[in-house]
Amino acid sequence: MSKRRLISSVLAVVMIVSVMMVALVGCASSSKTLKIAMLPKFKGENYFDACKTGALEAIDELNKDGKTVEFLYDGPPQDQATNQKQVDILEGWIAQKVNVIIVSPNDPTAIAPTLKKAQSKGIKVLTYDADAQADVRDMFVNQVASEGIAEGLVAALAKGLKDRGYDNSKTANIAIVSSAKTDANQQAWLASIKLLLAKADYSFMKINNEETDVYYPGPDETANQTQCGTLIGRMGEGADKIQGAIGLTSMATPALGSQYQSATQKPDPTKIYMTGLATPNAIKAYIKDDTNPMKSGVLWNCMDLGYLAVQTGFQLNKGTIKTDSAKITASRLGDKDIKDKVIILGDALIFDSKNVDQFNY
Amino acid sequence: MDDMKNKSKFESTENTGFNFKKFLVTETYLAIFLIVVLVFLSILTKGFFSLNNVMSILNRFSYVLIAAIGMNLIIITSNIDVSTGALMSIVCIVIAAVGKTGASIWILLPVAMITGAVLSGINGIFITKLRIPAIVATLATTQLFAGVLPFVVEGSIYDLPAKFTWLAFEAKLFGLIPSSLILMFIITTIAILFMKYSKFSKKLYAIGNNSDGARLAGINIERTVIITYIIAGALFGVSATIIATASQRVTTTMASGLEMTFIAAVVLGGTSIAGGSGKILGTVFGALILSIISPAINYLGISSDWSDAIMGIIIIVSVILGAMKFIKRKKITVVQRRQDNEKPKIQVDL
Amino acid sequence: MKNQKFRLTFNMALLFILILLFITIACLNSAFLSFDYIIGVMIRNIIELGLLALPVTLIIITGGIDLSVGSTMVLAAMSGGLAAVKFGSTAGIIVTLLTGLLCGLFNGFVIAKLKISPLVTTLATMFLYMGIARGMSLGDSVYSYPATQFLGNTDIGGFPLQAFLYAAFAVVFYLILSKTTLGRELFAIGLNENAAKYSGIKTERKLILIYVISGLMCALASMIWLGRFTSIKYDAGTSIGLKVVTIIVLGGTSILGGLGDIKGTIIATFIIAVLNSGLTVLNIPIDSQTIVNGSVLVISLITYAILTERIKKSRIIKLDSTV
Repeated sequence: MSKRRLISSVLAVVMIVSVMMVALVGCASSSKTLKIAMLPKFKGENYFDACKTGALEAIDELNKDGKTVEFLYDGPPQDQATNQKQVDILEGWIAQKVNVIIVSPNDPTAIAPTLKKAQSKGIKVLTYDADAQADVRDMFVNQVASEGIAEGLVAALAKGLKDRGYDNSKTANIAIVSSAKTDANQQAWLASIKLLLAKADYSFMKINNEETDVYYPGPDETANQTQCGTLIGRMGEGADKIQGAIGLTSMATPALGSQYQSATQKPDPTKIYMTGLATPNAIKAYIKDDTNPMKSGVLWNCMDLGYLAVQTGFQLNKGTIKTDSAKITASRLGDKDIKDKVIILGDALIFDSKNVDQFNY
Repeated sequence: MDDMKNKSKFESTENTGFNFKKFLVTETYLAIFLIVVLVFLSILTKGFFSLNNVMSILNRFSYVLIAAIGMNLIIITSNIDVSTGALMSIVCIVIAAVGKTGASIWILLPVAMITGAVLSGINGIFITKLRIPAIVATLATTQLFAGVLPFVVEGSIYDLPAKFTWLAFEAKLFGLIPSSLILMFIITTIAILFMKYSKFSKKLYAIGNNSDGARLAGINIERTVIITYIIAGALFGVSATIIATASQRVTTTMASGLEMTFIAAVVLGGTSIAGGSGKILGTVFGALILSIISPAINYLGISSDWSDAIMGIIIIVSVILGAMKFIKRKKITVVQRRQDNEKPKIQVDL
Repeated sequence: MKNQKFRLTFNMALLFILILLFITIACLNSAFLSFDYIIGVMIRNIIELGLLALPVTLIIITGGIDLSVGSTMVLAAMSGGLAAVKFGSTAGIIVTLLTGLLCGLFNGFVIAKLKISPLVTTLATMFLYMGIARGMSLGDSVYSYPATQFLGNTDIGGFPLQAFLYAAFAVVFYLILSKTTLGRELFAIGLNENAAKYSGIKTERKLILIYVISGLMCALASMIWLGRFTSIKYDAGTSIGLKVVTIIVLGGTSILGGLGDIKGTIIATFIIAVLNSGLTVLNIPIDSQTIVNGSVLVISLITYAILTERIKKSRIIKLDSTV
């Protein structure tokens, strides 16, 4: 019996070796296209889908004189938005010798060894949407500086709450629905929000207890719905209630809207206010509904973000720009400044019932 | 609460099951635990019993319970289903696609139930016809279900019409009680009556207790198990409808991972994973306790990072308490289980 | 005798599947065949799962199951990492191993002494251990320390250190299961726990022992894992338990206990490795890859069912002829 096994394993080795030979010979005819690979935090959600649409637009533009750029796109499913999955995908791309990797990391430190490995193989590494450790990427395409986003959110909330009669004589308690504690973006925005709340203009709003008033549901849809449901139950008028809520992710904000909508005893919409980051499409219905206290949303142009990221990656690869360049000419977006290997797309975009219909993502 | 206490009294006088003492104990201590927790919460927190919070908890409770009842039926036959989360995610997407056309709940709900029943029926066929242990078979179908979705839909289905969210946003009895609760009450009542009086439910217990005995007694095991999976699938469909219609956007992973919560609710409710025992009322308490944990610790001012640990402690303590009292009985169950799995099948084949 | 012949046949079928997959993927994309990728990525990625599959095979052979391995790993890495920050690498290693041991001991105690079904116990401890890790870290990451970096990132002659570790443990577990009394006792427990007990096997002690071994292997795997990724978060272990069970079942070990071997588990580990890393190179979306995993599992189960049926028949015929 063991002889038979020996024979079979010898056969197996022979087969493997012979196939390797064949494949290596076939390998000689590799194509000369430029491969740009894009990795979102997770797939299956409007925000990253919109970024992808912009990226594809840039690819089409680059390909208009014949096919020179190949675009690869993959990411973890939403319920498994972990570093592990992202690394699996990256390793596959590194093996295929792609030229540019554009990534939005779930965990800025845990992804670093893999990105470093990619760089050591001559791959240009860019981050978009969220940053990794600064030493493992060639460029970070940032949507809006974190202060800008925090400013947009806090200003929108302050305006809404002031309209509802809150000011320095009548303070408002606010709560925040974040993502996970390892999300670099949300942590940075939260820190900026806290700084802003200390300022005189916004000091009438306060976070009472960070343990319970900052929620961390992660990217999971059900967890977002459950925790936002709990939060809506705590909203209303009075010192022991919460009057203002900010959603920091494009999952949390729509969940706030829908949980308000399905609440049995809706807190008086003239006494509370909600806003947050979201794609316009995801919260359009709530903004237009007069009985819903979610009256505005904050975002940046995500299609442009994807577009700019691909443009930057392409130009870095071609050598048109270098990591120490001062600006990039990004086709239809015009010139953008580069500072310390960071490109900033623009300002935060606040949308409300007046202009929400202008967006289709 | 009074309502539930009355029910448990009613059950205890009528019970005919052979190890009925065990259930009396399980359900009683669960009920006592629940009451203690609720009293505790009413003293320590402000606003936990506000109408909104109670309804929000009950809404989560309703979809956990409806699916857990389905899971309970499956576990009674000494099978299990770990594919529920993936299966329900498919149902969510299917009804979102139908709902995008403007279909009303009277179309969505049947579609969801049929989709759930068909997919779950596949599990049942797989388990019975190929004689693959349920945990392994459903492990395989989990991967198939989860993998199919991304092929069908790119990302999420959003901007769904008002008719789609009607169930969660509008439909409320007396403008107060969410329709998901009504669905849950109807299904739970039917399930309790069904388990008590129908012949079919006796077959389930018989199969779970001793499948060869059941076979020799003339029960068509394969058909019964497949039907059980189909019924459970329809219930998963209802549960998925409640989850999906809660917002205007449905993603491909809406329900993933929930299967563990459902199994936990069933186990917490005193149903033995070895099959042949377990009652709906226990599952009701189990599901309610699990649904309360997360909001409760938020109201108590504890970081939500501790919610999983608390859930784990509650399950393990409850299971251990149950085992301590009936440790001798458990040993006998072990004997039965081993025999079921091994030799007798070959004998029957002879 | 018959049993052994059957297993050999099934393992050969598995080996055939492995080769077939390898060749197919290699033909479709030659990038798969680079030494760097196969050794540096494919092997490196699978080691943790492989290390966990070895002890869990023993557990499944006794008719048990361990769904809590992923959570044990995360908890061990988390407590070790936190200890290392305060007291240095040595403390980190000790605390990691101790945590793994305690987690395994608790599982084993509840299952063996309190007679609670392994599925229920480890389902509950899966939540419990992950929950403790989450609470301890308050949702934040824990970072690697020198000892784990050594385990996770050292190369010896072009091969990662952990590959040698895996090879050593594979041999050890193979020997335990097939050459020692303990191995035979585990099979006996899986076939009939009570009969095993009355024939003088200290079943409770053996069961606790294998769950403790499982906990310790989790601790070891967690250090490699932490070193490889430099940081770890509480959700890193989600679904690892089911992945490990998939590997073992694919390897022909019966989930009902009493049947199985380490060789099958090892081959199955490589099948999953080839699939994971191969499909990624083929640019098949990562969330659809589970279809292929699922299909391979289904094919394996059906093959298994057919082969078992054949064995039963032959056994029956033999019984008839001897009687």
